[in-house]
Amino acid sequence: MEKEKVYEIVDSVEKLEARLANLKAAQRQYVTYTQEQVDKIFLAASTAANQARIPLAKLAVQETGMGIVEDKVIKNHYASEYIYNAYKNTKTCGVLEEDKVYGYKRIAEPVGVIAAVIPTTNPTSTAIFKTLLALKTRNGMIISPHPRAKNCTIAAAKIVLEAAVAAGAPEGIIGWVDEPTLEISNLIMREADMILATGGPGMVKAAYSSGKPAVGVGAGNTPAIIDDTADILLTVNSIIHSKTFDNGMICASEQSVIALDKVYDAVKAEFAKRNCYFLKGSELDKVRKTIIINGALNAKIVGQSAHHIAALAGVKVPEDAKILIGEVESVELSEEFAHEKLSPVLAMYRAMDFSDALDKASHLIADGGFGHTSSVYLNTITEGEKLAAFEARMKTCRVLVNTPSSHGGIGDLYNFKLVPSLTLGCGSWGGNSVSENVGVKHLVNIKTVAQRRENMLWFRTPQKVYIKRGCLPVALDELGNVLNKKKVFIVTDSFLYNNGYTKTITDKLNELGIQYTTFYDVAPDPSLACAKEGAEAMRAFQPDCIIALGGGSAMDAGKIMWVMYEHPEADFMDMAMRFMDIRKRVYTFPKMGEKAYFIAVPTSAGTGSEVTPFAVITDEKTGVKYPLADYELMPNMAIVDADMMMVMPKGLTSASGIDALTHALESYASMLATDYTDGLGLKAMQTIFEYLPRAYENGANDPDAREKMANASTMAGMAFANAFLGVCHSMAHKLGAFHHLPHGIANALMINEVLKFNASEKPTRMGTFPQYDHPHTLARYAEIADFLKLGGKTDEEKLDRLIQAIEELKAKIGIKKSIQEYGIDEKDFLDRLDDMVEQAFDDQCTGANPRYPMLSEIKAMYLSAYYGK
Amino acid sequence: MKLQKVIAVRTSKTVYRDGDLAIKVFDEDYSKADVLNEALNQARVEETDLPIPKVIEVTKVDGKWAIVTEFIQGKTLARLMSENPDNMDEYLQRFVDIQLEIQSKRVSMLNTIFEKMHRKISQSGLDATTRYELHTRLESMPKHKKVCHGDFNPSNIIVSNDDVAYIIDWAHVTQGNAGADAARTYLLFRLEGEDEVAEKYLKLFCDRGDTAKQSIQKWLPIVAASQLVKEKPEQREFLLRWTAVVDYE
Repeated sequence: MEKEKVYEIVDSVEKLEARLANLKAAQRQYVTYTQEQVDKIFLAASTAANQARIPLAKLAVQETGMGIVEDKVIKNHYASEYIYNAYKNTKTCGVLEEDKVYGYKRIAEPVGVIAAVIPTTNPTSTAIFKTLLALKTRNGMIISPHPRAKNCTIAAAKIVLEAAVAAGAPEGIIGWVDEPTLEISNLIMREADMILATGGPGMVKAAYSSGKPAVGVGAGNTPAIIDDTADILLTVNSIIHSKTFDNGMICASEQSVIALDKVYDAVKAEFAKRNCYFLKGSELDKVRKTIIINGALNAKIVGQSAHHIAALAGVKVPEDAKILIGEVESVELSEEFAHEKLSPVLAMYRAMDFSDALDKASHLIADGGFGHTSSVYLNTITEGEKLAAFEARMKTCRVLVNTPSSHGGIGDLYNFKLVPSLTLGCGSWGGNSVSENVGVKHLVNIKTVAQRRENMLWFRTPQKVYIKRGCLPVALDELGNVLNKKKVFIVTDSFLYNNGYTKTITDKLNELGIQYTTFYDVAPDPSLACAKEGAEAMRAFQPDCIIALGGGSAMDAGKIMWVMYEHPEADFMDMAMRFMDIRKRVYTFPKMGEKAYFIAVPTSAGTGSEVTPFAVITDEKTGVKYPLADYELMPNMAIVDADMMMVMPKGLTSASGIDALTHALESYASMLATDYTDGLGLKAMQTIFEYLPRAYENGANDPDAREKMANASTMAGMAFANAFLGVCHSMAHKLGAFHHLPHGIANALMINEVLKFNASEKPTRMGTFPQYDHPHTLARYAEIADFLKLGGKTDEEKLDRLIQAIEELKAKIGIKKSIQEYGIDEKDFLDRLDDMVEQAFDDQCTGANPRYPMLSEIKAMYLSAYYGK
Repeated sequence: MKLQKVIAVRTSKTVYRDGDLAIKVFDEDYSKADVLNEALNQARVEETDLPIPKVIEVTKVDGKWAIVTEFIQGKTLARLMSENPDNMDEYLQRFVDIQLEIQSKRVSMLNTIFEKMHRKISQSGLDATTRYELHTRLESMPKHKKVCHGDFNPSNIIVSNDDVAYIIDWAHVTQGNAGADAARTYLLFRLEGEDEVAEKYLKLFCDRGDTAKQSIQKWLPIVAASQLVKEKPEQREFLLRWTAVVDYE
């Protein structure tokens, strides 16, 4: 005969401490178990608990004097079988999930030793439930039973433990206290790594105040609304089934029924027909005084039969009465029937309409069931609105529909997606940390292993870029023959219009038989007013194609008009919102191109706007510049025809040419630079160094130089359309805005300061981007110098030569050496410097810079550039 | 000191008057610690500006410990209530206001109501399960620091001839929750069979103190358990019923 195992009795703090030490040691061993070993133990323990379901149920009823053996059998059966079934295939050990591509892994680890507080109402089933969860998650468990249910709780724990150990679990992986006291349960909670508390609010509060992480659950006061569309037969019998289960001790059980006026009598009749007893006259008061004492639940009625409770109250009801029903009106706590009763005693309310029923149900939940469970019976097919209102109003974590709430709330019996559990979280409403049905996922720590990965980059350009001197009319041929455009809207400035630059376009359009109109009021630094006017004209004309002809201003204005024409509802403040990563920006830019095809034709060599997703617009009322950036703003077609640039004045040639150089330099140094943008940038720089002085000197007499510069500008544009810019542009934007310097000149004045700044190998802060793994911009600049064949032995020397070459280029094209030389007043410059510094720091271009600038560093660069030291 | 004029006799103590002095003489077997504690408590509460008779000395009279305090000339509120039942509402209102005034004070050195109640529950003679429930209930109460008289009833208030209400008998004072103190007063009324006054008192206390009735009711099982320690057989059944309640689950 097998000898019964004897365990040392834990009835003092000293013995508990010893027990906890053993438990912790056992758990340290259990951590090393594999999923396979754990699953074997889980199966063995579940099976043993399942087999003991009847003796354990008998023991529980015998010891606590509460509930019904047959129903407790179901609970024990459920706690073993359903929990096993729910988690048999769940991974709880080691790697749960791995994504090698993303370098992402989730690893489950046990939390350690869990303190389990077990209630008197469901002692054996809760003990089975919690110990099984602990075993499945490689945790140890120390059980603090309730004194009223300690023997059966311990018996259940013992069965699970012994089966687990027989299947290979470490000895003593589950422990318990034989003589529970408040002092001991407090100690358990302090010593455990986590607390899983099911029980009254006092115990749950103690768990939360122990300072240890706790999963506690709260009290319920489930109301059930019966709508006039409910199936009365199903409804009443579901409620009876649920309310009588284990004499009403499941915390999700219905405490009150709220029947709509129309069906009240029918509901009542059905209850009566099924042996539920409606309390009459003075009986109501007698039962009231029996169930609640000074606002608290009478311990003597918990889990007792209706007949027994009636007898305690001095009310005579038939032996087989199922439920005592009190027809009451008040939902206030002063009404005893409004409380949680943990017994087959039910309150019944009459509601005028569904809205009244919702008010009553909300109030009852607030009385003592915040976060727990609510229930409604209605026709789900026709009453979607009522159901939605119910879902919205109930502050409960379980909202049950046409379901007996005792069985429904614990899950997997009347709904097969609701997780089976005997510990029901009540969320923050119930003062709990968990709002779901508690399961294995609440008992593991998840480690996330994240490896470094680099960001995806991209290369985006207009679908079509046409290049060659004299190509404009050839390219436009497509409008008629391929694209079938009917109405073209031309955006340009008055100079270009008056000097016949649009004629090449209009002649071609005439030839193709395409209608057109021309808007030629774009001024430098185009204003919002101008864009609005253009957009208005577009709305009147309804073009299916827009051609923006001009320098940066006309092309930018064209892009903005395009946006306003296609999306008059779009807000500039939103579109101009700064972003850290263009892919993660908060604002979703409206989809462009649904009304009109956009063609950009540059007439200067510098801005690159024909191939960029950028546009700047100024609010003339406030002076605020809105820099917009989104690939939706990318033109559909760019036509680079140097014939349109021949007669550019010298000043424009030098300012826009040097702007293109800074585009290439900054995009090359950018953290987002790629091999694709590098090639374009280098070629653009080489071209600019060679041809910009010639274009500047010779103008229209040197069409080759003009064409080279046109291409260099577009190539640099493509580079920065994808790699973006840097702090030179940030500073130039604000310098231009504060002191009215042409954009290209402002860049020219700052660029060498930025080269020196970015080249530092000990920057205060480097930029944040996975590809940028260490400060290496000096080497990048040296690569440029090498490509330009500037000579120099070390990277430092090469940088010096690059800076020197830029200085020489600037001198050749008539750019002055300092901000001061452009006649900017020193006092005014210094007075507004701090403001300018802060705005430059916050400019959209700063983000891609390889060195993250401090405000003081921007200030130093500005000062240095001012004096040209 | 002349111990001739007896003004009150209580279990294990007798109070005498000698001119301006009231002398509370304890029985021989009375705990020295309890006597000194009572005097110390009263001295501590004296430091608030509550109207209470001051401790003059702690001494021994014929081998018995005695606390000598100022004597207050006047009638207890209990006596006034029974003499003028028509003014009951007014008296009760004043009674509640005095209690709220006491509770508005803070005396950080006093014992806490939590320690006291845990001790009383342990000594209550109740079964382990009920004690466990009560200890747990007590542990979950919020921790406040209000001065709680601990035996606040109309016989412990003396209205002087110039209509100042002096509060006496500070043996049970603690710091803790107003709800506990009110629950104790409510219990005392109910034990006296004054059910109607008890309900009136509870309503007044809640209204004037802006307190929810439940926050006082929650303490009733606990104060009932503490009263069981006094082992008065006639109260036993009543108190047992009050303690046999459970928290919701």
